[in-house]
Amino acid sequence: MRSFKHFNARMVDEACVLLEKYKGKAVLNAGGTDLLTTLKGEYLLQYPQVVVNIKTISGLDYITEDGDLLKIGALARLSSIASSPLLRDYYSVLAEAAHSVATPQIRNMATIGGNICQDVRCWYYRYPRHIGGPIQCARKGGSTCLAVTGDNRYNAIMGGKRCFAVCPSDTAVALAALNATIRIAGPEGERSVAITDFFSPMGNALKPDEMVLEINVPRITYPAKQKFLKFTLRKPIDFAIVSVATFITVKEGICTDARIALGAVAPGPVRAYKAEKVLKGRRIDHDAASEAAKEAVANAKPLSNNADKIEIAKTLVKMAILD
Amino acid sequence: MAGKYRFIGKATPRKDAMDIVTGRARFLNDLRLPDMLYGKVLRSPYPHAIIKKIDKRKAERLRGVKAILTCEDVPDWKGGTPRFARVLDRKVRFTGDAVALIAAESEEIAREAIGLIDVEYEVLPAVFDVEEALKPGAPQLYDEFPGNVVTPGTPFFGPECLKELIMGDVEKGFAEADVVAEGTFSFENIPNPLPPEAPGVIALWEEPNRVTLWVSNQFPYMDKITLFHVFGREVEVRTIGLPCGGSYGSKLMSWQIQSYAVLLSRATGKPVKMVMTKEEHLAAFTLRPGSRMHAKVGLKKDGTVTAVSGKWFIDTGYYSMTTQAQVAVALGEVQIMVRCPNWDLRPVIVCTNRNASGIVRGFGGQELKCTLVPILSLAMTKLDMDPFEFFKKNYIKPGDGYFWRDGNWYTCRGVDFTKAMDKGAEVFGWKEKWKGWLRPTAVNGTKRIGVGVGVHGNADIGEDASEAYVRLHPDGTAMLFSCVTEHGTGQRSNYVKMVAEVLQLPMERISGAPSDSLVNPYEFGPAGSRGTYAIGSAVIRAAEDAKRRLFEIFAPKLKVKPEDLETEDGEVFVRDNPEKRLPWKAMGVDRTITGYGRFDPDYTLTNCMMTFVEVEVDTETGKVTLLKAVNATDVGQIIDPQGLEGQLNGCLGSAGIDSAIFEETIIDRYTGHMLNSNMIDYKWRTFLELPQIENVVLETPFPSHRFHAVGVGEIATSPGPSAVLMAVANAIGTWLHEYPVTPERVLKALGKVMSKVRKGA
Amino acid sequence: MAVSNGRLVRKKDLETKRINLIINGQPYDLEVGSGSHQVDPAHTLAHTLRETLGLIGTKVSCDMGACASCTVLMDGKAVLSCMILTVECQGKEITTIEGLRDPKTGRLDPLQQAFIDHTAFQCGFCTPGIIMSAKALLSENPSPTEEEIKEALSGHFCRCISHYQVIKAILGASEKVRGDRDGR
Repeated sequence: MRSFKHFNARMVDEACVLLEKYKGKAVLNAGGTDLLTTLKGEYLLQYPQVVVNIKTISGLDYITEDGDLLKIGALARLSSIASSPLLRDYYSVLAEAAHSVATPQIRNMATIGGNICQDVRCWYYRYPRHIGGPIQCARKGGSTCLAVTGDNRYNAIMGGKRCFAVCPSDTAVALAALNATIRIAGPEGERSVAITDFFSPMGNALKPDEMVLEINVPRITYPAKQKFLKFTLRKPIDFAIVSVATFITVKEGICTDARIALGAVAPGPVRAYKAEKVLKGRRIDHDAASEAAKEAVANAKPLSNNADKIEIAKTLVKMAILD
Repeated sequence: MAGKYRFIGKATPRKDAMDIVTGRARFLNDLRLPDMLYGKVLRSPYPHAIIKKIDKRKAERLRGVKAILTCEDVPDWKGGTPRFARVLDRKVRFTGDAVALIAAESEEIAREAIGLIDVEYEVLPAVFDVEEALKPGAPQLYDEFPGNVVTPGTPFFGPECLKELIMGDVEKGFAEADVVAEGTFSFENIPNPLPPEAPGVIALWEEPNRVTLWVSNQFPYMDKITLFHVFGREVEVRTIGLPCGGSYGSKLMSWQIQSYAVLLSRATGKPVKMVMTKEEHLAAFTLRPGSRMHAKVGLKKDGTVTAVSGKWFIDTGYYSMTTQAQVAVALGEVQIMVRCPNWDLRPVIVCTNRNASGIVRGFGGQELKCTLVPILSLAMTKLDMDPFEFFKKNYIKPGDGYFWRDGNWYTCRGVDFTKAMDKGAEVFGWKEKWKGWLRPTAVNGTKRIGVGVGVHGNADIGEDASEAYVRLHPDGTAMLFSCVTEHGTGQRSNYVKMVAEVLQLPMERISGAPSDSLVNPYEFGPAGSRGTYAIGSAVIRAAEDAKRRLFEIFAPKLKVKPEDLETEDGEVFVRDNPEKRLPWKAMGVDRTITGYGRFDPDYTLTNCMMTFVEVEVDTETGKVTLLKAVNATDVGQIIDPQGLEGQLNGCLGSAGIDSAIFEETIIDRYTGHMLNSNMIDYKWRTFLELPQIENVVLETPFPSHRFHAVGVGEIATSPGPSAVLMAVANAIGTWLHEYPVTPERVLKALGKVMSKVRKGA
Repeated sequence: MAVSNGRLVRKKDLETKRINLIINGQPYDLEVGSGSHQVDPAHTLAHTLRETLGLIGTKVSCDMGACASCTVLMDGKAVLSCMILTVECQGKEITTIEGLRDPKTGRLDPLQQAFIDHTAFQCGFCTPGIIMSAKALLSENPSPTEEEIKEALSGHFCRCISHYQVIKAILGASEKVRGDRDGR
């Protein structure tokens, strides 16, 4: 790895101050499992001058209910989220999503803030420098997205614009089903963004001097059916080809609330509102699930070789609803 | 049979076990020499281009950079078959091809220097498809190979090297057939055997023309020979083999990185270490050859094969070193799988703009079978013939013959594998699970179960020559000199075990000399499952020779004839009067005894591996899951049960069964970038996806060596992939014509996803 | 200099100069810098262990966090040493394969012995990492089921396919440890 200056931030604002000072030339490091691959692959056109360790900020790894919110500190490890009794009992979709990430070692290291902010996996974008790269694709200011004409089996079937990479975060999909918001810290103070508004085709809502501080989820006080399903070629390690998170409340056999989020199909997690509408007020059965599944992918526009993702998404939505 | 022997067939700890489990085993990258430099390669961003200009001045000024070499700075050293692939050329032929070499005080500096070299390219059109490359007007990779067709045959196999399989009269054969089937299948996912330890080397040049290389390879002695020829037969080469962190055949193709390190050491006068990154290993090291076949087969109602004719396209990537050899062996092996009097099978080896093909477990035969077995299956379908019965009937029996790699006809004097096949079928439950062609074994909602079977065997178990020494010491210990490194099969320990059995000496008292070409005699190396029979024979003979010499020395001392003597535990005794004995020390403490053993090639024995698989296909998502695999074989005599189990379980990985399921290299058809050159996107089997595996191993004594054993390690990966394709076809009722069976392909075959023509060169 | 929380932050205060950590029970005091015996901020823990401290038992295969060859224990948990910056290891306790033997008697850890007894390796390159993950598992869960073993090892690349023998070895070691503990 090429060298850089390294700082340990002790507090959130120290981290933001350093980001501000190095104006786009500093990066934050939490779990390191994504950042270090970025630095080693040198696939970005610019190499950071500074790495700021934020693991040294104490007390930012909580998982707690406070008032009408569940609050998760940005530095909470995925392994803690996956094994938290509170989350497993009441926010199981998030615990399942966290458990589905990568491998035990990575979950011991990676944080939820990092999982949400990790860079996309598009293999054109990530093509390493030292074997004839990097590729200057649209995401790096180039003129075209090579995935459109090339092998796009893992790329977007919805919402791509100039860049067709998908959001690789599993926890973001669960958080979308939980109506989560992201609290962001920056030099100007704090602000909140809905998880579904956090991602954009070319990146995310963070300004260069901001960091994710906390995840907020409306507190769950009633029983709900929650499910996270992830389609991959292998159970561990793989990023989702398609994932689905559902949060469904049923009273006396009738669906009173349904939230369905799709992952790895678009630049961010996508709420399938039309599919949710299909279920609300209905008895959950095979027909309802199939109809909702069809509705969930109604506006999908596959690229040249990823139409299978539509079929897979439909299957997962149906399975999650009927689970 | 195990009762016959004191050591052979018993589970014994590997000689290197302690080093491996304590982390003391020193693999190549664990070695550091004083003053060592680190080498790196600047690689091409284009799949096909002429290098117009290289400006290395900026990079040379970087502190810590010791040498930068381009095609202008290096001698005209060449590898490949024929030798035409320059170590550094003015032309680059795949995205990732070598442009310049850098030696620096650290890897980081070398890497930084890469970024400071300016190269001007003239970009040429590239070709990535084997049949496109043959068309008139296609981009030409080499002046030497018009039409991108590589010269067939390899001098290593002699002037009559098998280049095509033409015998009998195919027209007559088709006329005699009850059914004829024709089709095209391709096995072009060109998987990477991907050993965990990346290819690498340390080289130390000594003026005027001598070089020592520390290599990570299963064939250290062959490296010496390969490099001797690459270096224009003017350099004295010594190779020292270290424990090898996996090879699966692939690391014999290390001549390029070895040559780079030698050139950099020659330029700097210092030892140079070069180890590929995993990305280089995936994108720029050798892969399995691509295989595509258009063929027609004729069968009689009873399953007799009357004729096979076809064209076999082999994509070797941007050069070939061993592909001709793989084709020769494959053509031999196909006759072992199906007896047929009439053949017209014509291979054509083609260059394309991707990284080169090299050796992978299965050596040609797997590539050929993956495309021919489905075509045979189309004919079997017409006859409603059970493929297990078909293979059992057609697999070679003692007394049958075949043309082997040198173009000569050999008559098989091995064993009949029918018993092993039957036992395998019984353990798998084939008779209950086989429901007929294109019929699932079971349907569970949206999931369908299918079964398939494949078979593979070679006559390579006695290929090439081996030599060994065994040295006896007066303190009752012995040392084995065999230029073999441990690369996972446990063979270094197994040879010690063979010596132990011959000398009746505990294994702890026998050590293996380092695999240094300077101290050991000729050794081709463990390949093609030859380790047990070929290398084993040389080792056994060396031990027997040492024992004979020992007895000659002890006979006068014990006042008997040498043939009346025995030895055990470092003592020599009279067979009929065991009380009469002397310790080895009695030979004199100023003496050692060295025995020599040699094995000369023998192509009259074949091995066999039949693999049964059961898969589950999810018809909604297209996902294929391997549920069960049963391997059936006959090894003559088990040498080490645990080592054998490991080798047979190896059927999944290292470009085996999983190349039918999810292993593939994915190359952009415009830019030539290998897109999945990382270990997340290149798929490999994890602990959470283990199918049930059962290994059926019979021990029918072979007429091989004194322990009647033959090897089967190399062939374990080969029958599985075509069996998986067959199982998927049976599960979903239609054939896929390509590997691997991705969700997209399965859903297309099921009509759930529309086919789109893939654009590209 | 910059302002944080109303205080002046000296960048220098945030820069790491030395790292103190414990490796296999031994304290190490490492200096940060670009000299050949110093730890560069860009050095990974795997690099420091292998290249600076000569602890070559930790193997690096992919160096990209995808194969788990380089697994070591950090404060008892299995982590990937190729994805950790050494400068971020202040105060951490690291165990590598070299630290598994009993430091006094040299006796092998029961896991190591079980791997020998079951020949739970072929080429052996991935073995140290697998043993370290197994160690973390058995420390937390002395009687794992086969499924729990598979889950704990799910990140490990073993190309030779020694998985089946590895599982047997870990089950064997777990029984052995329990047997010894129960005085059997």
